[in-house]
Amino acid sequence: MAEHEYQRLTRSKSRSLFGIVSISRSSLWVGRDHLLTIDTNGYNETYKRFYFRDIQAVILRKTTVWLVSLIVLAGCAAVCGSIAVFGGALNGVPVVSWVFGIIAACFVLAALLDLAGGPTCKFQLRTAVQTEDLSAISRVRRARKVIARLRPLLSEAQGTLTPEEIPARLRELQSARP
Amino acid sequence: MNGSLDCPKCRAPLTEAQVNQERLTPCPACGTELLAEVFPALFRPIAAGQDGERLLVESEASCFYHPEKKAVRPCEGCGRFLCALCDCELHGEHFCPTCLEVGKKKGKIKRLENERTLYDSVALALAVYPMLIFYFTIVTAPMALFIAVRYWNAPRSIVHRTRWRLVLAVVIAVLQLVGWAALIYYFTTLKRRHG
Repeated sequence: MAEHEYQRLTRSKSRSLFGIVSISRSSLWVGRDHLLTIDTNGYNETYKRFYFRDIQAVILRKTTVWLVSLIVLAGCAAVCGSIAVFGGALNGVPVVSWVFGIIAACFVLAALLDLAGGPTCKFQLRTAVQTEDLSAISRVRRARKVIARLRPLLSEAQGTLTPEEIPARLRELQSARP
Repeated sequence: MNGSLDCPKCRAPLTEAQVNQERLTPCPACGTELLAEVFPALFRPIAAGQDGERLLVESEASCFYHPEKKAVRPCEGCGRFLCALCDCELHGEHFCPTCLEVGKKKGKIKRLENERTLYDSVALALAVYPMLIFYFTIVTAPMALFIAVRYWNAPRSIVHRTRWRLVLAVVIAVLQLVGWAALIYYFTTLKRRHG
C-alpha cells in the first residue's frame, strides 16, 4: 500500500461554537517536514503549512467552555426531563412524556460526551511571523497528544534545548523586549 | 517577531516557571492555566536579508532583473540568473519572484498551493440535495454528471481522498436521468394511446 504524504493528527473539528449547524471545519495533519491545517467549508479547502524548523512555541490555554456547555446541556436535560415526568402526568398524554423523555436523553448523552472529552483549551502555534490559533485542537487531552507527537519531529528539525538553557535564554529574550 | 513569550489571554510575559513544564501552570498575571512548550527556533536570530552584490567585472554573470548586480545562482524554474535580492529560497529550492508567483497561481509548486476546490463534493451535493425537491433534478443531474466527468482527473483534497464521491455522484445523476427519461417516455406513450 502506498504511504500517504500526510497523517491525521486531529479529526475534523467545527471552527465555531455552533458545531452542529456549521459546515466550516478544520483539521490538522502532519507531513514529512511540516504541519498542515486544512480549513474547509465542504466544497473548498484552504491550507496552511507550518514547517517544523520554523515553529517557535506551542501554547495551550485551558478554557471553561466545556464547563459552560456541560451546565447548559445539564440544564436543558433537567428541563426536558421535568416536562417528561410532570407534563405528561398532568396532561394525561403519554406522547408528551415520550417526546420530552427522548429529548432529555439526547441532552444527557451530549453532556456525557462533553464530560468524557475532558477540559477544553485554545491551542496556539507560534512562528517568527505569526501566532496561529489551531481550532482543530479543542481539548487538553488531544493537545497533549499532539505536543507529544510533535516534540520528536521538532527536535529532529531544530535540535533540543537543555532544561538549564531555557531560563537563561528566556531572560535574554525578556531583556531584549522593547 | 522573536519577542518574549506571552500569556495568550492577558499578554503578560511568561517566566521559566510556565515554560516546558509537564503540567499546566497558572499564568503569573491572570491565573489562567496554561502549558507552553518552546523550541530552539524561538531563540534563533532572524537572518538579515541580502540586497545583492554590485557587479565589478564586466565578464561576470549578472542578475536578469538587476543587470548591475552579481548573479549568485540560477532560478530552478526558468534558469534565469538571480542576484541575492531576487533569489527566493523555498525549502532548499531557489526561484525567481516571477516563477514563485506563477508557481503559486498555477499550482506548479505544490508547497505554495493554499487552496483547492473539492469538485467531488460539489458533484455529489448537486446530485443529492436537489432530490429534496425532485423537479430540480432535471437540471442538476446533468450538471452533476458534467462536473464529475469534467473534473474526474482534477486534483482532489491534498490529503488522501478516493473517488467514491465522484462515482456516487455519477451513479445518482445517471439514475435521476434514467428516471426522467422513463417518466417522459411513459407520459408521451400514454398521451399517444389515449389520442
